Amino acid sequence: MNFGATLAPQLALAAGVVAALLAGLMDRAPRLLLRLLGVAVIVAALVLTALSAPTSGGALVRLDALGLSWQFLFYLGALPFACLVELEDEVPLALMLGCMLGMGLLAAANSFLMLFIGLEFMSIPAYILVSRTGRASQRAREAAVKYFFAGSTAGSLFLFGMALYYADARSLTLAPAAGPLAQAGLALMGAAALFKVGAVPLHFWLPDAYEAAAPELAGFLSTSMKAAAVLMLMRLVALAPASALAHAIPAVAALTMLVGSLLALRQQSLQRLLAYSSVSHVGYLLLGVGAWAASGASAQGAYAVLFYLGAYVFMSNGAFCFLRASGVSTRRELRGYGLREPRLAALFAVLLLSLGGIPPTAGFLAKLLVLWEAVKAGLYWPAAIGGGAALLSLGYYLGLIRDAYFESDEGPASGEVNRAHRPSERLVLLACAVPAALLGLFPWIVGVLSGVLAQ
Amino acid sequence: MNITGLALLIDAAVVGALLLVFLYANKAVGARSVHEGDGLLPYETGMPPLERAVDSMAVLYYRFAVLFVVFDVDLAFVLPWALNRHVLDLRQAVAMTGFIGLMFLMLAYFWRKGVLECR
Repeated sequence: MNFGATLAPQLALAAGVVAALLAGLMDRAPRLLLRLLGVAVIVAALVLTALSAPTSGGALVRLDALGLSWQFLFYLGALPFACLVELEDEVPLALMLGCMLGMGLLAAANSFLMLFIGLEFMSIPAYILVSRTGRASQRAREAAVKYFFAGSTAGSLFLFGMALYYADARSLTLAPAAGPLAQAGLALMGAAALFKVGAVPLHFWLPDAYEAAAPELAGFLSTSMKAAAVLMLMRLVALAPASALAHAIPAVAALTMLVGSLLALRQQSLQRLLAYSSVSHVGYLLLGVGAWAASGASAQGAYAVLFYLGAYVFMSNGAFCFLRASGVSTRRELRGYGLREPRLAALFAVLLLSLGGIPPTAGFLAKLLVLWEAVKAGLYWPAAIGGGAALLSLGYYLGLIRDAYFESDEGPASGEVNRAHRPSERLVLLACAVPAALLGLFPWIVGVLSGVLAQ
Repeated sequence: MNITGLALLIDAAVVGALLLVFLYANKAVGARSVHEGDGLLPYETGMPPLERAVDSMAVLYYRFAVLFVVFDVDLAFVLPWALNRHVLDLRQAVAMTGFIGLMFLMLAYFWRKGVLECR
């Protein structure tokens, strides 16, 4: 097997990490150089992913259509972060590229070992990135430690599950095994994936981590990182579509959608609100995964999840980018923002409508596809709860729009937020808002892309 | 005596000679250790031997421990390569050279960033 052809994007990312460290050997690496390096490496990874074709599996890695589509998502979801991250030195750049390298390895894994290495490889830089936010403030460090312990728990669950699976299957290749120990192992590994994705009984670390992280980092964590965890879950479920794990996923999905939306209703901090909203969105993704598993890993089921993630990459990154560009951090500060900064607020409103799933935005079509797949697979109750949770979520998405446009800005905190936003922030916001609005009108774009990748 | 035995003998001689050089060179040109104050405390993991359990502690030693583990694990990759050197061709030699080069780069990076300084 030719590693150069199978792992071309990953090799590009590894080269990027080395290049970032080399730039760090300079006395003061120019920020522009670091920024260009990061964006160039990600674009190279995107191009190389698009040029790759699925190949048969080796012992450790394989390249299938699913892995390729998801790799495209990971790298796309990291672009806004690469454009906006504060590059005081080369460390965030190296960490970000290392994180994506882990995701790439996870996507190409054909063995539990590689899956685990990918999982840890993508997680550890993320802990450090969170801890470095805002010159390593107390809050950021606390959030990073919580995130680290949740992640380590997931890691140990995965290891334990891997050992149990091995006891039955006598192999660490991602291949179906039917024994009771393998089932228990799958359940443990699935729990690890649910931990990483932030599904409801295991979501408690997520709001803290997303609130303490810089907005653009929270955007990266909520898109690329979640996509990776969803892919991991799909890989596990694909091994045993009739296992307890696959049957539990729709119930977990229903709980996640409902609890995420309910908790988001009460939040005052915008970043925390978006974190809970991202928990709620994970519920829809899990519903999609459950439907995909129940329909026997159908192409349409995978497409629904892919489209949801693709839309979410733009919606979530865009919403967090707005927080960064505007400097607004609470709902109170948002009051009257629509009159002070009409253009920025309009883009935010578009993103919120898309997150809420108002037609004809991308978010609407994403929810429709997932719910449709769930109904087709016979998951009526979770789908109904998903519909209800979507209505609930409008309570805070439209509430934010009301805050921005229809509330007077006579609150005590108004006037404090008067941050001059940079052109790069506006550009990223625009680049996220436009697809979030229009992807719903041109859904075939995602289909064409994944078709190109599958060739 | 066959060639392997001779090689082992030479190896042992070189290692033994190096050991002696290190031991005595340190004594001859190294800095004198101060046998007073904290110098005579039992030394474990860079921390005072007795302290309150809830105090914050220096992570200095752990940094070195982690670096050690990183390089140690990397070395574990070299071992199977070295054992199979008879069946490997030039490509693998180049690959391993690149890998070791990367490790050197890591070391250079840590050095440049002052991680190796015991402060």
